[in-house]
Amino acid sequence: MAAIMIVMALIELENVTHFYGAVCALRTVTLRVEPGAVGLIGQNGAGKSTLLKILLGLIRPTSGRGTVLGLDILGQGLELRGRVGFMPEAESLIPGVRGVDLVALGGELVGMPRKQALRRAHEVLSYLGLEEARYRRCEEYSVGMKQRLKLAAALVHDPELLLLDEPTAGLDPEGRESMLALLRALADRHGKSLILSTHLLGDIDRVCQQVVIVDRGALVSVGRIGDLRSKCRGRYRLRWHGQPAEFLTALRTAGVNVLVNGRADEAIVEVPQSWSLRSFFELSTRHDLTLRDVVPQEEDLEELYHRVIRTN
Amino acid sequence: MAVELAGYREWAGRRRSPWWTCWPIVRTGLNMILRRWIFWVLIGLGLLNFLFNFAFVYLKATLTVQSEAAGGFLDRYRVTGTGEAYADFMFGQASITALLLAFAGSMLIGNDYRQGGLIYYLSRRTERRHYVVGKLLTVGAVVTLITTVPALALYAEYGLLSNSLDYFLNHPRILAGILGYGVVLAVVQSLLLFAIAAWVPRTVPLVMTWLGIFVLLKGLAEALRAIDDNRHWLLLGVWDDMHRLGRWCFGSLEAGRIPTAPQCLGVLAGVCVICLVLIVRRVRAVEVVT
Repeated sequence: MAAIMIVMALIELENVTHFYGAVCALRTVTLRVEPGAVGLIGQNGAGKSTLLKILLGLIRPTSGRGTVLGLDILGQGLELRGRVGFMPEAESLIPGVRGVDLVALGGELVGMPRKQALRRAHEVLSYLGLEEARYRRCEEYSVGMKQRLKLAAALVHDPELLLLDEPTAGLDPEGRESMLALLRALADRHGKSLILSTHLLGDIDRVCQQVVIVDRGALVSVGRIGDLRSKCRGRYRLRWHGQPAEFLTALRTAGVNVLVNGRADEAIVEVPQSWSLRSFFELSTRHDLTLRDVVPQEEDLEELYHRVIRTN
Repeated sequence: MAVELAGYREWAGRRRSPWWTCWPIVRTGLNMILRRWIFWVLIGLGLLNFLFNFAFVYLKATLTVQSEAAGGFLDRYRVTGTGEAYADFMFGQASITALLLAFAGSMLIGNDYRQGGLIYYLSRRTERRHYVVGKLLTVGAVVTLITTVPALALYAEYGLLSNSLDYFLNHPRILAGILGYGVVLAVVQSLLLFAIAAWVPRTVPLVMTWLGIFVLLKGLAEALRAIDDNRHWLLLGVWDDMHRLGRWCFGSLEAGRIPTAPQCLGVLAGVCVICLVLIVRRVRAVEVVT
């Protein structure tokens, strides 16, 4: 008998709709997301923040239902927030409170005893490189340090799921790199699930395996990034040695569309349906050119996003 | 940024009830006040008033032992051990508390709305009611520590410095008065401060609104009473209403004189209900968690 493994959904929403007065922020969103790192993409006002708030059990959707980590978002918000860590985009710190006290307070607010919360706050701040700054007041932290402090506060109770709203906002390239490495490590090595809401598609590309795309309150696409990326039929990246001018002219004459030719030794081309790969090599041999690579081109996340939005 | 996830440890302890989260909210609020020297100036003023009274009671007790007449002479000036004296003491302390809260309100509550602190609380295993109770208890604790606790200390000192425990036995109304007056001050001031700071979170407007309610309304009430010759206008002065009700707790409010204690209680209850509605509306508002 074949073994069947049922993976519990990280998030399951069914016809979730939310109105702010007369404005519809989310429209009949139905989705299922598996545990892992998930990117949440959408333009400003697309409904990302509303979706995060609903997932956190902070606001009740106008209609629809759903679960996060198997807990009902309508009736088990309190328990849900005990198992989820939230890193908001807004500063959301308490001025006048020292870093270590703020993180420990975060732990106590999810029900950790004072001593354990304080010990855990020290540990988490050390992991995030804020060991030496932990006794400084929140308002004295730099932008990058505040981001790390918010992450520490989200991590203090060792949540199963982290909801991260623009975690790399305001970080310099080095800080951003470290933050992404940390998020990857949390997901890969420590089995944390992440929902990463950001405008920086590169961040999602580097951390997440799944993506949820929302547009004007509606769910546009959801799934594994690899599955969603359609291999663009007939699009190849060519790299060569030698003078390409005659080769490229011959390609164009044969009906090939040369899309990008920024560098002297490579180009991205789009071939007609009847095209055979062998024709590349025949043409290159004819024009004294050595082809080094002929690689089918995949969409990057940005192209994927724009295609999906355009289609919908 | 040093990433040392190799040492990342999981945590799987037992969690406390969400109502426990009120205590760290109170503790954090009190710490925030005690860490600023400006508030220590006001706390110091309160402490000075308390120490002065404390010393006076001690002096009186000492003199009374030597000569009953000398002790009686001091009764004309300060703490006499009567309800009126405690009401006066608590009134003085309450004035200092009101000033302190005017400046601390923005830091204790206003910043939660201005700088996103509210979402820090609400994104945890804390519901809005726990947050509201925690913040109200914080303000209530400040009021109690500056008014009721010193009054209780003076009451205990007065009783213990007399030759017997008769003072405690003969004046139970004073103890009830201290606690009653303390409750009135704590409840009204905490609800009023929360409501104002949640809607007017910046320090200067908050101070102006706070003082406006206590000082301007008092002035307005007296002016209207003078024009209309109707003492019911005095009910507009919320500050005085609190103290009339406090004096009633001690049994030192003139009976039948308008405004009466039930009238004051009615006005204060109305103010509290309005504050509660404002608080609930503010805390429930969606935009505050954005």
